[in-house]
Amino acid sequence: MTTPTQHAKQATSVPKPAHIEPIVGRYLHMDVDGQPQRIYFEEAGQGIPLVCLHTAGADGRQYRHMLCDETVTSRFRVIAFDLPWHGKSYPPLGWEQNEYQLTTDRYVAIIMAFCQALDLQAPALIGCSIGGRIVLELANRYSDYFSALIGVEAADHQQPWYDTSWLNRPDVHGGEVCAALVSGLVAPQSPAEYRHETLWQYMQGGPGVFRGDLHFYRVDSDLRGRLGGIRTDLCPLYLLTGEYDFSCSPEDTERTAAGIPGAQVTVMREVGHFPMSENPAQFRRYLLPVLDRIHTDAKA
Amino acid sequence: METTHDQDAGATLARRFIAKAQGYARPRRCNVEMLVRFGATPVHVSVRDGRVRQAAVITLPLDSWDFGLSADADAWQRFWAPVPAPGWHDIFALSKRGALRIDGNLQPLMANLQFVKDLVALGREDA
Repeated sequence: MTTPTQHAKQATSVPKPAHIEPIVGRYLHMDVDGQPQRIYFEEAGQGIPLVCLHTAGADGRQYRHMLCDETVTSRFRVIAFDLPWHGKSYPPLGWEQNEYQLTTDRYVAIIMAFCQALDLQAPALIGCSIGGRIVLELANRYSDYFSALIGVEAADHQQPWYDTSWLNRPDVHGGEVCAALVSGLVAPQSPAEYRHETLWQYMQGGPGVFRGDLHFYRVDSDLRGRLGGIRTDLCPLYLLTGEYDFSCSPEDTERTAAGIPGAQVTVMREVGHFPMSENPAQFRRYLLPVLDRIHTDAKA
Repeated sequence: METTHDQDAGATLARRFIAKAQGYARPRRCNVEMLVRFGATPVHVSVRDGRVRQAAVITLPLDSWDFGLSADADAWQRFWAPVPAPGWHDIFALSKRGALRIDGNLQPLMANLQFVKDLVALGREDA
């Protein structure tokens, strides 16, 4: 119980200022293949544009730590957007009539439309998981547009380890099973707070969205033998893979890189498939040297 | 062929698992009958309303269960290491490398996947 003296002290004490993060979120309208899309994105910082692509079935919140890291945002304009159907980006008009399936061409079109809508000049781009896979395709098609590409948990192909039909069926809770499946891709060393925050996003995904993303991953983007157009002399390609990722394993990334002259691979210790969200402190140990290189190259 | 040493190791792991699984509970409506096989030692676990009601080595023939997780003693020991090595840290990592078999009716497993994952990880030593 508060005494009158304590109550008086509380009333006259100076309130502690609220901690407000530097992240700003906005909505952008753009067309993709003639279809209007309302895209949510968050950004912070200034300098070289750094576009961030989230994993399948998740959203741009995965990059919240990078967006608040002054070592990054003092040199980079970090921009993370939610793919259509994800996070705070609604599905397009008429979505209820269709099953969501991401394709390689569609994914590329969304990314390029977003970059062009913001009129980004020579942006760098980082993508994780499906975002890492599409980084390889972007490197293949658009080495002359991006200033650097970072593929996190990226490979041209990987062996499936479960049947994706479990992700969307009436007798299994989609959010729970999506999170439970990917929980094993988080490294045991990752802090519990960030492990569960990462999994919460999977619990929040729309029905069938994770599975629809995996249509791109499993069916439509086997890039083995199809990456001959990559020019790392024009656009450096950095590949960072966590040692605890058994979905896109370090061996998958190393095999992929072996076929791309100039690709630079780093295997990250004590992280899994979601480095930027599951263990941001550990991830930045590997990310910052890459960003230093990109920043230095931009000044040269 | 499994040696006496392997059988002993499996039985030891089964005892450890049973001791830890007794009374394990989570707030969810999970009702499953599951087999967890430690080498040659099978353990039947009954879960009612999110609580382990029984966990015991199967001694009678024709035991009935929904789904089973089976691995040899070495795989379980690696999985239960205080900080398991990459590729030995999750049942699907083990499954992908062929060190753990998942069979039976998978619907009850997938509908309660995190519960089951947390349950079978109970044998993990403290880091």
